[in-house]
Order: sequence, then C-alpha cells, then structure tokens
Amino acid sequence: MARKIPSRRSSANQSGPWLNRLLVAGIVAASLALVAFAISLVKLDQDVRTRFAAVRWVLPAQIYAAPLELYPGAPISLAELKTELDRLGYRGADELYGPGSYVAGKNEIRIDLRAFNYWDGPRDERRIAVGGDAKGLGLVRVLGSDEKLDLVRLDPMLIGSIYPTRSGEDRVLVKLGEVPKLLPQTLVLVEDHGFYDHSGISIRGILRAAFANLRAGRTKEGASTITQQLVRNLFLTKAQTFKRKITEAFMSLLLERHVSKDDILEAYLNEVSLGQDGPRAVHGFGLASQFYFNKPINELQPQEVALLVAIVKGPSLYNPRRNPDLVLARRNLILKLMGDAGYIRPDEVEAAIASPLGVAKAGSGGAERYPGFVDLVRRQLNGLYKEEDLTNEGLRVFTTLDPRVQDALETRVVADLPELEKSRRLPADTLEAAGVVTSVEGGEVLAAVGGRDTRYEGFNRAIDAQRPIGSLAKPFLYLTALSDPDRFNLQTMLNDEPIDLKLPNGQIWSPKNYDHQLHGPTPLYMALAKSYNLPTVALGLQVGINPVRHTFSAAGFDNVPEVPSIFLGAIGMAPLDVAQIYSTLAAGGYETPLLAIREVLTKDGQPLSRYGFKVKQALPEGPVYLTTWAMRKVIELGTARWAASVLPPGQVFAGKTGTTEDMRDSWFAGFGADRVAVIWVGRDDNKPIGLDGAAGALRIWGRLMRDLHARGIDPLAPADVEEAAIDPQTGLRADQACGGSIVVPFMRGHVPEQYAACADAAKSGPLNWLKDIFK
Amino acid sequence: MQRVLRISRQRASLAVALLLSATLVACFSEPERQPIGTTYPMPSQQASGNAGAPPSQSPSVPPPVIQSPPLQTNYPKTIQDSGVSSAALYLYKQAQAARAAGHADQALALLQRALHVDPRNAFIWQSLADTQLNLQQPDQAEAAAQKSSSLGRGNPYVDAGNWRIIAAARQAQGDTSGAMRAQAQADQSARALSASP
Repeated sequence: MARKIPSRRSSANQSGPWLNRLLVAGIVAASLALVAFAISLVKLDQDVRTRFAAVRWVLPAQIYAAPLELYPGAPISLAELKTELDRLGYRGADELYGPGSYVAGKNEIRIDLRAFNYWDGPRDERRIAVGGDAKGLGLVRVLGSDEKLDLVRLDPMLIGSIYPTRSGEDRVLVKLGEVPKLLPQTLVLVEDHGFYDHSGISIRGILRAAFANLRAGRTKEGASTITQQLVRNLFLTKAQTFKRKITEAFMSLLLERHVSKDDILEAYLNEVSLGQDGPRAVHGFGLASQFYFNKPINELQPQEVALLVAIVKGPSLYNPRRNPDLVLARRNLILKLMGDAGYIRPDEVEAAIASPLGVAKAGSGGAERYPGFVDLVRRQLNGLYKEEDLTNEGLRVFTTLDPRVQDALETRVVADLPELEKSRRLPADTLEAAGVVTSVEGGEVLAAVGGRDTRYEGFNRAIDAQRPIGSLAKPFLYLTALSDPDRFNLQTMLNDEPIDLKLPNGQIWSPKNYDHQLHGPTPLYMALAKSYNLPTVALGLQVGINPVRHTFSAAGFDNVPEVPSIFLGAIGMAPLDVAQIYSTLAAGGYETPLLAIREVLTKDGQPLSRYGFKVKQALPEGPVYLTTWAMRKVIELGTARWAASVLPPGQVFAGKTGTTEDMRDSWFAGFGADRVAVIWVGRDDNKPIGLDGAAGALRIWGRLMRDLHARGIDPLAPADVEEAAIDPQTGLRADQACGGSIVVPFMRGHVPEQYAACADAAKSGPLNWLKDIFK
Repeated sequence: MQRVLRISRQRASLAVALLLSATLVACFSEPERQPIGTTYPMPSQQASGNAGAPPSQSPSVPPPVIQSPPLQTNYPKTIQDSGVSSAALYLYKQAQAARAAGHADQALALLQRALHVDPRNAFIWQSLADTQLNLQQPDQAEAAAQKSSSLGRGNPYVDAGNWRIIAAARQAQGDTSGAMRAQAQADQSARALSASP
C-alpha cells in the first residue's frame, strides 16, 4: 500500500508535463496535418483545374457514305427514295414535324431535310417535295414556294468511325446548346436532383444512401452527384476504395469552384458510358442517339430521351437490346417523373409510355454498318494520317460508298451462297465470297464485301484474300496482242493444239483446255469468249511474257511474276486488285487508282484533303475497245451465256469468267457503262468447291448487275477503230451476198482486204486467183 | 529464260498464206486505204523500254488522232445540246461562274459533283481539264482533256478545245515540241470546223 502512494503521487507529478507534451505534440501534429492537407488540397485544386482544362475528348474520325443526289430524272424510284430515307433515320409521318421527318404520298414525298455541313459548305434545314414514280424522280421543289430545285443532296449516312483499338472509345461530340432541353433536364431529375444546388457533393444524398445501405447490410445505393460521376470517369479509377471516394469528393468540390454547372453537364453528356458494341465502347449521348435510334440527338422524342437516361444507371444491365422489359419499365418510370416535374404534358406521357422501345437493330445503328468498306477507308487513310489523328481528332471523312450498291452486293452474297452450296451438295456455310463494285469513270469504290458474314470486322477477303485469278488474266494478254494490229486482230486464227513448255526449273508445263477437247483453229475473239487455254498460251508465246506483264502494270497491278503460266492467270490477286485492272478496261484504258475517299475535313469543317478524279491514259483506247468487244462475246456466246438470262435484254455487258485448278476459286469480273463488279467464291481452306466461274461467281455477278440496274456499254467505237462485215468461216470480208456474216471491229486501216468466196465483191475483185488458193 | 516449245503439228501455212495475201492486197489497194490513225508502240518495245516502271506515266500513248471519220454534222456544239441532265448542267454553270470569279478550287468540286451525276459528258470533262490547268495541275489537265476527247467520240467542237488545253498543259510541263504538235491539232480542228457547213 505504502509503496503505492508515492507511486501515485509521482505519477501525478509526472503526468502533468506528459499530458501537456502530448497536447502540444497533438496540436503540432494536427497543424502539420492541416498544413499538409492544405498543401495537398492546393495541389489537388491545381490538378483538377489543369486536368479539366486539358481534357481532350477521344474523337474518332467519322466516316460518311456518299450523299444521295436528288434531281429530276435521277434513276431512283419513289419507293427506293423512301427506303433511303428510312435508312438515314428519317421518320415517316402524316405531316412534317421537324428535321428528319417525311410524308410519303403516291406521287410525291415531302421531306424535312436535316441541316448538314458538307465539305463544300453547310446546308440549312429545308422542306422539299420530290415527285416521281416507279422509274425515277420528277420535279423537286421547295415546299411553300414555287421554287424548283435542279438538285439537292440528302445528308450522307454515318457508316463507321475509326476508334482507338485499345480503349474502343467511340463518341460523337455534342454541345449543350444543340441538345434538346429535355435531355439535360431529365438527366438531372433522375441522376442528381440537387445538381443546381449542391457544390459538388450532396450531404443529403450521402446520408440517404448510407441509411439505405445500413438497412440493406450492403452497398445498395450510391450517392454520387453528376459532378462526382464525371470526376470519377475523367480522372479516377472505378475502384470502390475509401481513399478514392474521399479524393473524388474533394475533387468534385474543387471542380465546382472553377467550372460552371453547364460545362460540367456538357462534359458529362459527352463522357458517360452508354453501351458496348463488340470492341467499341459507346460514350456520350451524341453517339448513343445514333447507336440506339439511328438519328441525330436533336431529333430525340421524349420516350427516347427517357430511354437513354434509363441506360445511364448501368449500360450493361440496362441494355435495351438484351433486357428490353427491364429497360421499358425504367423508361416508363422516368417518363412519369418527367410528367410530374412538368417537363412534358400528361397526354405526352401517356403517348410516350404507349410507344415501343423503338431501338434500331444491332448493327444498323448508324455506325459500324459496313466493316468491310470502313476497313478499306481506314487503310487508305493510314498512309496519309497518323493513327492518333484518326482516332482522336474528330476528322470527318466523306467516302465513295453508295449504300444502295453496298446493300445490293450484301444481299446477293448472303442469298446466293446457300443456293450455290445446295447446287453442289456442300454443307452449309462451306463457301466464302468477296466482292467489290466500282464506278467506271470515277474509279470510286461503291461497295466492298469481305465475306458472307457482312458485319464481321476481321479478315477482309475483298482486300486480303490473294487468290490465283485464272482466266480473269486472259483479257490482258489478248489486249497486249491486239495492241499490235500489224500482227493480230479479233479474227486472227489461233491454233488449238497441245503444248508442252519446259520451265526454268526443269518442269514441263502442259496446259489443257478446260473441257479437255481440241477445237481446231479458232478466231482470237472466240478463244477468249470460250476461254480456251491452248490458243491462249499459243498467243501468249507469240506476244511474250514481259509485254503482258507490262499491260497488267499499266492497268494498275505490278506484282505479276515472269512466268508463262501468267497467261492462264497464275497471279495472286485480291478482288480489289482485280477491280482495279478491270476498271481500267471499263474506262476505255484510262486508269484511275481506285479511291474510297472523297474528302477529309477537320472537326471544324476545314478541308484537309480532297481526292479528285485522277485519270491517266494507261492503255490505248482502240485495242481496249477490241478487247472489250471480245469480252462482250463472253456473255453473248461464250462461257458466261447464263448472264443473258438475268441481264436486261438489249443491253450489252462485258466480262470474264475465272476458274482455278481443281475448281478452288470461282471468279467473275465484268462491267457495263457505269459499274464494274468483281466476285470471288471459294473456301478459306482452299479446298475445291466444284464450281467454275460460270457456275459460281457469275450467278452472283449477273443478279447483282440486274439488281443495280447497271447500264449497258455504250457500243460506239472510238475514232481509231472501224468495223467491217466478216465471214466467220474464213475470217475474210463479207458483204450482202454472204449469209451469217458478223460485224467485227478492227484498228483503223487494218481491216482484212481479202473478200470471202461468198461475197459479190470477191467475184469482181482482182484477186480471185489468190482466193482459189484458200479453197 | 530457256524455253523449249514443241508444237505437235505445225499449221503455220495458213497464217503465212494470210500474211502473204494481206501484203499482196495492200499492194493492189487504192491509195485512200492507207492505214491512218495512231501508231502504238509495240508491246515488246514498251516492255524493254521501261521494264518495271509504271508505263502509264509515259505520255507515249498519245490520244487518238481524230483524222479519219468524216465530219458529222450532228455532233453537239455545246453542253446544252449534249443531252446533259439539268442537274449536271446546273453544277456545270455554277462551276463556270466560280472559275470566272477566280475560285478554281470551288469549280473543281462542283465539276466533280457534276461528273457523279453525268460521268460521261465530254463537255464537263473538258471544263474539268480547263480548271485543272488553272490549278497548275497540267498532267491532270492533259489526261482529262484526252478523256474528254475519248468520250466525245470524235466531236470536233470538243476536240478543238481539248487540243488547246493539251497544248497549254504540255507547255506548262516544259514539253515545247509536244505543245506545238497539240497546237497544230487544235488549229486543224478549228480549220475543219470553219470549213464544215
């Protein structure tokens, strides 16, 4: 006991200064902490300011299709125009109610055209009426006046974007002023009711959430304001840690000190994640409007605004394409809130609740519609711009894609491949196909399909599948020969006899005719029309390998090996390469490097580059005309006769079938006056498919040209070509006295002088004695 | 490259006879049947001349020389007569106005839009060539003028203008002799026009 007292005293004596010291230390520590906190707050403040100022939206380049031109006489039926408007997200109605609406009548469609910034200047919203029928368009006039229009463009369709591959972040930037007021109103109403009153965080919200979570025993409700959500999305991770939440709260408070409510809201509208589309992340309401409703944001209706705001709660769970019932319930709840708040009238609430979700089909939602074509655009851009400029700078790229042509090509590939499989008893989904359609004079790629899954973004057979082209090569050999009119014309007789060639590697090459028959001496044009191999090789050996390679190169393809088998098409080419060289033929020998891009603009509409019609005369026009004449015979009487059954009668088309060894590849390439189309059918594992060019690719090509209403070739010969009646038996000149003569074009001055025996002229001519030799 | 060609049955006699007959016929034929028109480089010469290089860059393939077809009277004289659509004509006129106002760039965009509507109109191609000349793109101007002539299919009203453009384009590229040849063609076309009714 006694020992305890002093000890107690002594402890009392010692505790006084110890406590004091503790107190002092505490105060010092607290002050230091406060100073440290203040410093960190100042730093954070600076950080928030600089980081917000430096926020640069990832703005993927936007890819547009070519706009449809409407003018009197345009070959578009009213029904097609209506389809086109639907595709662009225009809404049919009983009366025009704003941009993006149309009224379809029997002889006229009235349209409220959207405003649009074209590469050559802006076009304001305007109301027009377009007359027409099943054949084409008639009068185009401005509604409410007598003004007639010579032509007017529809706004071009957004067909894709070039987003960064790593983050997949895609977005269409919007300004608060361009957004219908209802959207920010509803967003604030649902997500952060006190947005305009709080200073970054909401104490009431935190307490309410804490209470709810306490009752539920788990994290059930968040209390994040719009500001906090924005701070988190822009600057922080999504980790649910205490430290992150504290930092977020302070950053939100600081952000509100420097940035106006409107700027915060605008940033939120552009940042918020609203869905996922494969590798692509849909950010912001601008893109979401396109992605879900296929229309620009200023055309959103109340129920659409409510739906997009419903998605904000959780884009994965509230995915209207996957959980439509859940989303519908939430949308309707939000509509009722909008009604209660007085943002829309009770009758509007009722009508909106009664309306369906109205979400566009996946894949048709504006962007990423044509991956095969967008891939081509991306490659052409890659050579010209840095990758980060394409993904971040919001470039606007206007392309050559014609959505009507693209749809026709896709439809044919999807519909015809199963039929071809059935015809050869192949298991379903065995065959693959690729196709390219270009314009004849402009060298523009109008459509490209990279496989039968036309939405697949991977391997693009139109550009990357290098397959031997078989007989598609023959026209370039024949053209080379016909360019030497002193030696060859379309009637030159070619031998159809066995050939054995010793190759440099010592192997013997013994080409055969496809039908394993010999046909005797054959006129040059007929050898091409019937695609005989032996006369072709015989011709090739007379012409030489290098001149033929030279012709390929002039037509637009350089990579041709120096071997005789190129005469029969042992050349690896992709459908796009074939389209290039056939385009040069179709354009009368004028080569235009195939283009997928017309214009590139900055996001502010400043022109960066324009890609014009660049032509050069690469191949002589007359011989090209003669070659094309022989290619017309391919369809008239040669290997592609089937096409005549589907092509419009009286119209002339030219083309060539291609088949490779053991029928591994089936090709057809051909053209009319305005369209070149190339189709490849084969297998990815390169196994035989049992289809030659005529039984496979030609089927797709013929129906495609029919569906496209492709125009036949203008048969007028160029000035350096003249025509003469020829007796097909002898290849000599004929006149009225000869039955069954044909008119054949020759290079001017190279028509055979000699008349056939049947001709009157021959009887009176001075050369009867010579003629007798041939009898 | 070593290559052994063995043709199992020689049947060249017919070809030889044909060749012989053609030669003989040429000897007997009337003077106006002389070959006229373009002489193209032999394929073999082209190949040995610039193997590997894209041959198309060489202006060695001249535009078709329009000499032989008799001058027809039904060639359209102006774009209005050429069956052009009202839409393309509207753009063409706008382009002419833009060019007159010194906005060749704008004119080019308008003409390309016109060609999307009417891709085979020789007058629009000619205007494009003229505009490219304004824009100091003589190689493009020459090619577009050739294209215009091709599409004109011998229309002398188009040809005269095209040869004038080609002459200027060649001059701008430093090809004086080529320019003189083109100018001679332009003059010839002009004379033919003034001589025709």
